[in-house]
Amino acid sequence: MHNNPQETERLISDPVPGITAEPHDDNLRYFKVSIEGPEQSPYEKGIFQLELYLPDDYPMEAPKVRFLTKIYHPNIDRLGRICLDILKTNWSPALQIRTVLLSVQALLASPNPNDPLANDVAEDWIKNEEGAKNTAREWTLLYAKKE
Amino acid sequence: MSSYHEEHNTSPHTQSNPQGRREIRSEFRNLYEQLTPTDPTLISLLASLLPPELQEEWGKKSNEGCSQAFIDSLPRVPKDKIPNDLCSICFENFREDEYPLVIELPHCSHKFDLQCISVWLSSNSTCPVCRDKVNHNAKLDIDTTEAELEEDWGMYG
Ligand SMILES: [Zn+2]
Ligand SMILES: [Zn+2]
Repeated sequence: MHNNPQETERLISDPVPGITAEPHDDNLRYFKVSIEGPEQSPYEKGIFQLELYLPDDYPMEAPKVRFLTKIYHPNIDRLGRICLDILKTNWSPALQIRTVLLSVQALLASPNPNDPLANDVAEDWIKNEEGAKNTAREWTLLYAKKE
Repeated sequence: MSSYHEEHNTSPHTQSNPQGRREIRSEFRNLYEQLTPTDPTLISLLASLLPPELQEEWGKKSNEGCSQAFIDSLPRVPKDKIPNDLCSICFENFREDEYPLVIELPHCSHKFDLQCISVWLSSNSTCPVCRDKVNHNAKLDIDTTEAELEEDWGMYG
């Protein structure tokens, strides 16, 4: 399967506001990603580091994306794995890296505790949304700092 | 620190045993086909015997891929009607290919390189762009001449 060099070029030349993605020098399938927390979300002002890896079958198979920065979110677990349908069953080869990253950013703006990956966080979110958001804000201050 | 692949349950080529995976998968598929189970309990029992990372893949592959016959029967876009547009899978312009083989999905008219869409449809049954089911189980009796005729009617009607 092709490696889509144009896609990489476009990511660099036509960046999405608040999102950066740079291919690794030694491995063009591996991207270092950063996403700014959306405004008016508990992640506002945070800079979150992620890694994105294109599997051999990309674009027939979804990229693998994971948060490296610790984050308190019902759809992101302790290992940084993300519960997002387009990364699993709803993947389409017409989606691009930029669409995936925009969807991840959207997930930060609207957490969905009813489809959780981190069960304890989701429980907290359902029982006491304000408290959970405060924890998320604290974690953002603590961990999601500019490098 | 554990590696990316360990944590993601994926394995790069150097560490994985794709042959082993393939064998397990085809064994289960054979079993499944021999039994042609209609009993949901039996199906879920069989599924539960699979390693978790294979369950999703196995279910998906065996239920949702389109047959090669279906893929072969997809209407080709005649060379003079190939649009000056990008294939939504590889993002290359159709016309930049010296020998373009472009197909049109019958239900939604989305166009793709035959090579690109074949790989996708061999394990999926939706259009990558609009996600409509490609309806691969329906009997296909559209041939390219009919598709062209319909296009012409659309233009004048
Ligand atoms: Zn293509
Ligand atoms: Zn379509």
